[in-house]
Amino acid sequence: MENRTLARQSAYILFFVALAVIAVIMLIPFVWMLSLAFRSNFEIISREVSILPKHVSLDGFRAAWDKIGTIMIWFKNSVMITGIVLTGSLFTSSLAGYIFAKFRFRGRSFLFILILAGLMVPFQITMIPVYLIMKELHLINNLLAVILPSVVSPFGIFLCKQYIELIPSDMTEAAQIDGAGEFYTFFKLIIPQIVPALSALAIFNFIASWNDYLWPLIVLSGEERMTLPLALGMFATSRAVNYNATMAVAFFIMIPSLVIFLTFQRQFMKGAALSDMK
Amino acid sequence: MARSKYGKRPDHRNKKMFIAVSLTPIMLLFITFTLLPIVMACVLAFSSYDGLRGVLNFNGFDNIRGLLNDELFRMAIWNTFRFVLLAVPLNIAITLLLAMAINKVRNAKLKHLLRTIFFVPVIAPLVGSVLVWQTFFNYDHGLFNMLLEFVGLQPVHWLTETKPAMISVILMVLWADIGYNIVLFMSGLDSIPDMFYEAAKLDGAGRFRRFRHITLPLLSRTTLFVAVMTVLSYFQAFTQFKVLTGGGPSNSTRVLSLQIYDTAFKYFDLGVASTMAMVLFAIMLSITWFQLKIGKSQWEY
Repeated sequence: MENRTLARQSAYILFFVALAVIAVIMLIPFVWMLSLAFRSNFEIISREVSILPKHVSLDGFRAAWDKIGTIMIWFKNSVMITGIVLTGSLFTSSLAGYIFAKFRFRGRSFLFILILAGLMVPFQITMIPVYLIMKELHLINNLLAVILPSVVSPFGIFLCKQYIELIPSDMTEAAQIDGAGEFYTFFKLIIPQIVPALSALAIFNFIASWNDYLWPLIVLSGEERMTLPLALGMFATSRAVNYNATMAVAFFIMIPSLVIFLTFQRQFMKGAALSDMK
Repeated sequence: MARSKYGKRPDHRNKKMFIAVSLTPIMLLFITFTLLPIVMACVLAFSSYDGLRGVLNFNGFDNIRGLLNDELFRMAIWNTFRFVLLAVPLNIAITLLLAMAINKVRNAKLKHLLRTIFFVPVIAPLVGSVLVWQTFFNYDHGLFNMLLEFVGLQPVHWLTETKPAMISVILMVLWADIGYNIVLFMSGLDSIPDMFYEAAKLDGAGRFRRFRHITLPLLSRTTLFVAVMTVLSYFQAFTQFKVLTGGGPSNSTRVLSLQIYDTAFKYFDLGVASTMAMVLFAIMLSITWFQLKIGKSQWEY
């Protein structure tokens, strides 16, 4: 009996160690990113196997610091786009979700089917016409071209509608009998109850918007109009690849995503599981 | 109910006002940036459009006919399928195994920590991750070749030869997004009641039989969802290819999404690019339909 528990115990430890090794491997790219950022470019292209730099060099950070003015502009662009997209899409998703969930009006199911159609169509289909529309509106190379198409999110509306339908209608009806206005009901009664769905949505939209590459690549081109990921891509594909500086900037971009993720981790995991309900 | 009698009229009007005021701007934005573009894409797909001069000419099925004879387009379709058919099963197998493994960890804190670690690449900006992997794959001074050399093996042209290039992209893609499916599988596994496993153990069912007859069938709803979502997202994968390989070497990693982007925004052939996008959508729809059909027949428990 004792031998068996011992065998089981050691099997468990072995299994756990294996899992831990895989987890460490998952983190290597980030360690490598930092480790390259702290090397001289000369050391990077020399052929030496070392996880940590032989000589710590701040060249990369210095090169990035020289461009700090431009980097801050990119940072500001990214913050502006993500901030407006986030507030806008949360507001429109919850409002439209509320209306589709709790009101009966003519054309309701037709409009909702249209939204579902928008949910299904891949971005590759709409990106070309939206580009033409932006050109027509003279918004090419304007941050609005990135912001406007993301302010209404079919997925967000769908998620909020599903969630709000679960809220019993008695409560909102009672409030309205007491004379509460529609917007009051929406802000004071509905919003507080869908916080889990909204935080999941907020996190998804933040990541999607902060990391987006394809759409900004199409509509933004001026150096002072770029977002961080777009600039990083340009940084790296330019002829003279400045490894350490690129890695320093790549690390810099990661920090906001990481901070947000670690702060809202719990909602994040719940949100990921939430997207499974159908 | 009784009270609404004397409040009915103004209440009803208020509701109508509220719906109109809130929904109109939302629907206008939706129509302008989603619905109208879908209609426009359908028109563009059957037209030639000179992006530089802005001239649109309806040309029927010319675009499709042209694509049938387009070597590069056929190659892009082949590459897309090669990528999806390799990466999706690998992704699902790896994430299911890892999710089961992490779920077995007894210490709750360690369990959360592991899940977090696997999830971090999902939230990291893709462009940054791709750049790090690019340095891994570098022939002369990349980490992978240094390790190969260290154990006495020949270096590999990870990104510069046609054969390993697709494998390299898949390695990077798997690292970058297995975390998401791990979380989904873990929450799916959590919803399987323990008593099923205990009953099976009492009946003497081994590890493999418990997996085959309890885990797999009870997890089939999650698996279907994961499979559908992963296929849809991999068919649209763009950044990984654009930044890591740019479609090369000799177009061996040129996938549809990249070919659509280049056709539209490098050669400004918006009509043909829209036709390609329609083909992509048609492929995605039929595969999803097929998956759901297979899935439905299996998850009636």
